[in-house]
Amino acid sequence: MLLRTEKICKYFGGLKAVDDVDFVLKKGQLKSIIGPNGAGKTTLFNLIAGAYLPTKGKVFLKDKDISRFTLNKVSRLGVVKTYQINHIFPNLTVFENIRIAAQVRKTSFNIWRQAASYREINELAEEILLQVELAEKRNQPASTLSHGERRYLEIGIALATQPEVLLLDEPTAGMSCAETNQCADMIKNLNRNLGLSIVLVEHDMSVVMSISEEILVMNEGRTLAEGTPREVSDNEEVQRVYLG
Amino acid sequence: MVDDRTSTIKLPNLHSPPKPVIVYGTFIVLLFLPLIISTPLATEILIWTIFGLGFNLLLGYTGVLSFGHAAYFGLGAYAAGLAFRYLDASVPVGIIMGILAAMLLACIIGALAIRSKGVYFAMISLAFGQMLYFLALSPLKGITGGEDGLTRIPSLDFLSFSLGKPLPLYYFVCIITGIMLFVTWRILQSPFGKLLQAFRENEERAKACGYNTTLVKYCSLVISAFYAGLAGALNTVYLSYVPLSTLFWLTSGTMVMMTILGGKGTFLGPLLGVGVFLFLQNTISLFTPRWELFVGAIFVVIILVFPGGIMGTLTEKFAAFRMRRQGE
Repeated sequence: MLLRTEKICKYFGGLKAVDDVDFVLKKGQLKSIIGPNGAGKTTLFNLIAGAYLPTKGKVFLKDKDISRFTLNKVSRLGVVKTYQINHIFPNLTVFENIRIAAQVRKTSFNIWRQAASYREINELAEEILLQVELAEKRNQPASTLSHGERRYLEIGIALATQPEVLLLDEPTAGMSCAETNQCADMIKNLNRNLGLSIVLVEHDMSVVMSISEEILVMNEGRTLAEGTPREVSDNEEVQRVYLG
Repeated sequence: MVDDRTSTIKLPNLHSPPKPVIVYGTFIVLLFLPLIISTPLATEILIWTIFGLGFNLLLGYTGVLSFGHAAYFGLGAYAAGLAFRYLDASVPVGIIMGILAAMLLACIIGALAIRSKGVYFAMISLAFGQMLYFLALSPLKGITGGEDGLTRIPSLDFLSFSLGKPLPLYYFVCIITGIMLFVTWRILQSPFGKLLQAFRENEERAKACGYNTTLVKYCSLVISAFYAGLAGALNTVYLSYVPLSTLFWLTSGTMVMMTILGGKGTFLGPLLGVGVFLFLQNTISLFTPRWELFVGAIFVVIILVFPGGIMGTLTEKFAAFRMRRQGE
């Protein structure tokens, strides 16, 4: 197991946002979390990423307990999240957005050497720009990108930190049909070609069903079902609660 | 180095540091400043510019507002003054003591307040600054001179030049300003400088990338205090006296105003803001004791015409002009 949660819970006062959820991600797997609004998907996602502290239960990364680790510590261990709403560095160029993320493992607090002289970091940033198809926009301030491009940049920033597990929170939100298909292809490539383990929270069922190896369905903070896309879509309870 | 083959339209980044030629060019202009304005005013502008460069790193590039920077400026001034008066320290030693005192204070205040955000940090820093002011005013009156300030600082020499004379003092401060301009430019080009800007743009995202953003903010504060301490120590060399007002909140407020006036987050903004502020203050106060009224009105007009500060708005307009040209 690369990543797992053990009976994880998160309560906000009386609200049980996540309640006793066991989630397992194998190395190289692409696993989706689905469920109706308020099911606890994003909360579970944030618990894994270190953005929230669990009320009960544990999160393990390769058998190391990371339950009490902060967001930046978890990220440095290789579990990196993207955001549902774009979280980029708007006034920096597209290239700088990626480069800042790329330098995290090499150098951060050097105040003298020029950032442009770190060849390895710049090459990595260039490579990521190509992967997320933003190479042509490299010198534009990120704020000038379209919504779809910003979503790509969001993924690019996460990729530049060289993660082992990529947590994608609704990456296709607000995208057109064509952009959604393109984005789904890109995620599939990252998983199949680069061997990146991916956790995907997504509302677009066509994307989820076409690229996921396994799906966890949540409802009211608890696990409703788990299995392959076929098993999940055939599950009567899932159909009743979510797929309709 | 990065190649530009894949770029189509190159849009200027408003917050990016300038080309080296601007840094060297600015230094050359500063060398001739005493030919345009009075030497003491030019010296004062340079001292406050150093203070402003550091403050701009914190406010403009890191996005952290401190209302207590007078504490670092004032402590730097007092530490240097005390070293000159009681230890008979040389100019470099006095300045180093001023810098170290300011940095040490920033380390302490930072450790206590750095986790506060936005206006809370501004208020806590203001409270610490005022604490220091009142300490210097009364309980430590015996050392600081209280309301009268620290006086009887001996005249200072550096490499056989008397710093009591305006012109040698100006060029002494000018060389240090040139060094600090270069240092600031290097910091902004460095991975840490980029990180400061990332922090300003989106702290949450920087954290999600794996950065310890509290440490980033802390380091930025301590570096900023380095500049403030240096400026404070130079102010002592310049005045041969430390007024108590160096620790007063108004000094912090003036610095905030100068930085915003010049354009926060722009490389030359502090120099321009300080220059305009001190020039107006010095010129208008010759004609009326109510100079604050007129200077205030002029600032209102300047901010209305240049909403991003003088340098910020000019850079923005220039960027828009270049975009139009590229479009054509």
